[in-house]
Amino acid sequence: MTNAVTTTDLVKKYGSTRALNGLTISIPNYAVTGLVGANGAGKTTWMMSVAGFLRTNSGQINLLNSGPFKPEIHCGRISILPQDSALPEESYPLETLVHYARLQGLGKSAALKTAKDILTEVHLADRMSSTIRSLSHGMRKRVMIAQCFIGFPELILLDEPLSGLDPKEVANMRNFILKRGKAQTIVISSHNLNDIELLCDYVAFFKQGKSASLTTVAEITNKSGLLTYALTGSPGSMKALGALLPECTFTLNQRSNELSCLFKPSLMPAAKLNATLIPHLLQSTEIITITSGATLENQIMSEF
Amino acid sequence: MNSFSQLLQITRYEWFTAIRSRRAMVILLLYMAAAICTMNFSINALQKMEQELVKLLQLPETEEVGVVSKTLWKSKPFQRIMKEVSRDNNVYDDLVGKHPVELIFAWLVFFYTPLLVVLVSANRISDDIGSGSIRYVAFRSSRFTWSFGKFLGQAGMIGAALLLSGIGAYIVALIRLHGTTFELLTNIFVWSLRAWIYSIPFLGLAMGLSHLTRSGSKATILGILSISGCFVISAGAHFTKGASGWKSIFAYLATVVPDTHRFFLWRNSAAAVATGATWMITLALCYLFLGYLAFRRRDI
Repeated sequence: MTNAVTTTDLVKKYGSTRALNGLTISIPNYAVTGLVGANGAGKTTWMMSVAGFLRTNSGQINLLNSGPFKPEIHCGRISILPQDSALPEESYPLETLVHYARLQGLGKSAALKTAKDILTEVHLADRMSSTIRSLSHGMRKRVMIAQCFIGFPELILLDEPLSGLDPKEVANMRNFILKRGKAQTIVISSHNLNDIELLCDYVAFFKQGKSASLTTVAEITNKSGLLTYALTGSPGSMKALGALLPECTFTLNQRSNELSCLFKPSLMPAAKLNATLIPHLLQSTEIITITSGATLENQIMSEF
Repeated sequence: MNSFSQLLQITRYEWFTAIRSRRAMVILLLYMAAAICTMNFSINALQKMEQELVKLLQLPETEEVGVVSKTLWKSKPFQRIMKEVSRDNNVYDDLVGKHPVELIFAWLVFFYTPLLVVLVSANRISDDIGSGSIRYVAFRSSRFTWSFGKFLGQAGMIGAALLLSGIGAYIVALIRLHGTTFELLTNIFVWSLRAWIYSIPFLGLAMGLSHLTRSGSKATILGILSISGCFVISAGAHFTKGASGWKSIFAYLATVVPDTHRFFLWRNSAAAVATGATWMITLALCYLFLGYLAFRRRDI
């Protein structure tokens, strides 16, 4: 697995505060990676440093295997959705996107076509020629997301891409990002862990700008080693369950009647487990749903 | 896309967005209104001066009296005013015989242009840094290309403003004075062009300072203070001409302010105008580049 970005011992100070304090992390190519961490953990600072907006105090950045950001090398190859950055108020979405596309090296007609296509994809076909000033917050956000995907850059950094969008647009944007994630490297910073779980292949945990551990989402949520059964009533004696499947560990949430079963797929495949457990449970109650793994939110909250 | 094409692209975009900005629109309209009003007021004053002159010299009253013609050059007060305005005998000699309306316009645009530049352009870079909109461009082009492109776009914008005020002034002359010729319009355009060259170092100064702050208002205040500083230095140099001791510092400082070199642009000879233009452009690039140096590696 090659990496799109590697940062080593990165330090960024704001006065006496160290926003990044020797951060080392590698972002895999052609995958969607989520950055997760508390406020002030260094996610935004890391993104801004990678994009060349911030001057780091020490450490190395290797962007697309060609060193730190340099416009002559990386222009058109990376893009970013920066946080708290406004688009020029007097300009029009189409005009602005064409401008950005032209700067990335697209010809006049190609720039126009790409800008129109991408604005249509983010449901702004009817507002292409309205001023940015007249657009709602959510619409502006969609223009900001659209500009990231102009010209098919290799690496896209998205800082809180879905905040401020209505639920319908969140769903559309998720699909949009998922579709692109197969061919481009996308890094998403978000406090919405549901978004990270749905969109990302990998998650990097940032802790006080010091460490960032990279793990697959499936690994964290334990998709292959945890089944949760939502029941209508009590599953009966827990001792009996333990005796029935001694390889598994059972936990019952009595308030919600959710039975969690932790197992090792190598010792007990999920199909065999269900074949034994479900008939037993049906003797005493009904099963509403069966879900595999925990939510990313639950896992991360337990880590915090 | 190479850097030059990017520069052209940024210049074009800057020009189009700047001309649509509310602030620019308001200031341009005010500037045009000021040009029209001043022209109208000056024509009134000159008409009176010309009529007085005819009476005083007991010249025969002709149809031309009160049309503000070149007759005014026979007036001692008018000559004194022009000498005072031009400050230099060579410049004065070049101005003698020019149409008074043309000279009013020239004085007007040279007087107001630095303020116009600061009010229209001083915030363009700092606002983009403050709002974060520079971040959408910073990974698509170099910071230098962006800065220089913004500067060129604003230069185009100021040029358009001066042309518009020239047209406004010509229309006033056309309405108020009989016998206004097309030649006057051409001459007004030439003065607009000269004033545009004169505006360039002030633009470089305002936009150079704009790199230093994230606030448009602060950048405008810095711009106003800096052009005031330029005029203080220029006036200091004028009043301490030939002085020795600490006062001689004004003579050195005056070399790097645009006002000192502006009268090259008032001359008739192409060589003098070219010298003035070279000074103006060099000063503009120096101011802009100094601002850019501070911005080059700062966090955005």
